[in-house]
Amino acid sequence: MFSKVLIANRGEIALRIIRACQEMGIATVAVHSTADTDAMHVRMADESICIGPPSASQSYLSFPAIISACEITGAEAIHPGYGFLSENANFVQIVEDHDLTFIGPSAEHIRMMGDKITAKETMRKLGVPCVPGSPGGVPTLAEAHEIAGEMGFPVIVKATAGGGGRGMKLAKTKADLDQAFRGARAEAKAAFGNDEVYLEKYLTLPRHIEVQVFGDGKGRAVHLGERDCSLQRRHQKVFEEAPGPTITEEQRARIGKTCADAVAAIGYSGAGTIEFLYENDEFYFIEMNTRLQVEHPVTEAIFGVDLVREQIRVAAGEEMSFRQENLTIRGHAIEVRINAEKLPNFIPSPGKITTFHAPGGLGVRMDSALYDGYTIPPYYDSLIGKLIVHGPDRPATLARLKRALGELIVDGIETTTPLFHALLAEPDIQAGNYTIHWLEKWLDEHSG
Amino acid sequence: MAKRTHDADVSFVQALAELLRANDLSELEVSRDYGPEETLVVRVARQITAAPVTQYVAASAPVAPTATAAPVQTAPVVADDPALHPGAITSPMVGTAYLQAEPGTPYFVNVGDLVTEGQTVCIVEAMKTMNQIHAPRAGKVKRILIEDGAPVEYGAPLMIIE
Repeated sequence: MFSKVLIANRGEIALRIIRACQEMGIATVAVHSTADTDAMHVRMADESICIGPPSASQSYLSFPAIISACEITGAEAIHPGYGFLSENANFVQIVEDHDLTFIGPSAEHIRMMGDKITAKETMRKLGVPCVPGSPGGVPTLAEAHEIAGEMGFPVIVKATAGGGGRGMKLAKTKADLDQAFRGARAEAKAAFGNDEVYLEKYLTLPRHIEVQVFGDGKGRAVHLGERDCSLQRRHQKVFEEAPGPTITEEQRARIGKTCADAVAAIGYSGAGTIEFLYENDEFYFIEMNTRLQVEHPVTEAIFGVDLVREQIRVAAGEEMSFRQENLTIRGHAIEVRINAEKLPNFIPSPGKITTFHAPGGLGVRMDSALYDGYTIPPYYDSLIGKLIVHGPDRPATLARLKRALGELIVDGIETTTPLFHALLAEPDIQAGNYTIHWLEKWLDEHSG
Repeated sequence: MAKRTHDADVSFVQALAELLRANDLSELEVSRDYGPEETLVVRVARQITAAPVTQYVAASAPVAPTATAAPVQTAPVVADDPALHPGAITSPMVGTAYLQAEPGTPYFVNVGDLVTEGQTVCIVEAMKTMNQIHAPRAGKVKRILIEDGAPVEYGAPLMIIE
């Protein structure tokens, strides 16, 4: 086992990893920019190193700064958290070249899943159901018309190197295709420096269902059920739950086994998430995230496991403690993301926290790096906390969420907490009756 | 700071803080040279309004939370922090600092040396790459704040040149 781990991240996820290390008796090193000198992860870690100025590209994304911080502190492994360097194959290669351990999958697997076309081809070969689409990049408009004609409209044009909703354009009918094709290419070129695009059939009312998988890197893998993350705004998840309200036990067992077998076949190591669109009882692969997800606590709640601990164990070469037959679901869990944003337009709201009070009680978990008097710097993302509630069933969990939200106090800045109070009053949310378009539509109807 | 001057320093800082309040100033900095190796730099600041003012001090002691929690009082008093010295050369990266090109060779500079602008004063190694640190201007090496082979953070003060 490692004696010292460096956490190449900040905010609540850095705390999440420090806590796992502390329980395992592993010393921790926090890295931080000059804007985060007073941040909670710096206070909680055993050691801290200032690695650069506020700009993430010169601090949390800087390879030399993070490798140097390992060298001067003697850390043996790096946990990347999510975002920042968590899915950067070049970084993983450099970490390994310096005889350090990256707590996550191999550079090869990150690269494979980072390229959307390679990922889809790989998954299709492994028997994972995919959205009908072009077999690869589509270089010309004429070819786009030919492929779209075969699949039928609507179609979506997507950047090969894309992510986060950029480089994505919808063509509802044949008449929209010229504009969508050119628009996606231009956006892809600007955002990713690569204008290659591909085509996919567009599902009209799908849900976002993702399957948590975990591999030991030696050909064994398990699945930990699904999460429904359909409630999104601009492709950003805001509310996640597990198990999915519409997924049956048979569906879970079937898609779960397909996913676990797929990652076992490639020798995948550590935590991963296979994302699907789900419509009319069918799953369609979108992408695989080769890292810990923001919403991993809902899975931890219903399975009673510690995914970060398991990531560290497997990275250190220990046996995976998960066995598929021992992984059983208990109850229901929901996570809501508390962002420092002002409603109704979600304008970032950095500033000083005058009062912070975290909700508590049975089945309530608040993962947050806030404290009284903390100033949220304006340089990073706006996620300031995740409220996760666990209950015996979905109605009890919704009631618990309402109760816990009522206890949460974040004074001094604006947060997205009022959004969740409003959502909980909606019959569709209470019934679990929503798709990936539900929240955008609801927001349109409730603003102005 | 020598022990014999501690009480005097405390009184001095208190007097400055009082001066700040009495004259409704927001910031005050005083530097005193007591001898060739003994300098006292005091900077006192306070927030006039409750609006959040974030102060980033690279590689210095974290500001006490009690001071930041009370905005309309005398705020952080940072005495003799070399990183705030106007002649400080700070590390541009996290790494290991070396005062000599290789073991057994003379130091690049010693206290009291006169340096020219652009002269190499030390090296910071990051990922096996030796990064030469140059004097930003000509002057005299007043203090060397690191030992050969010391780990340094981003923004850590390395030397003071005046």
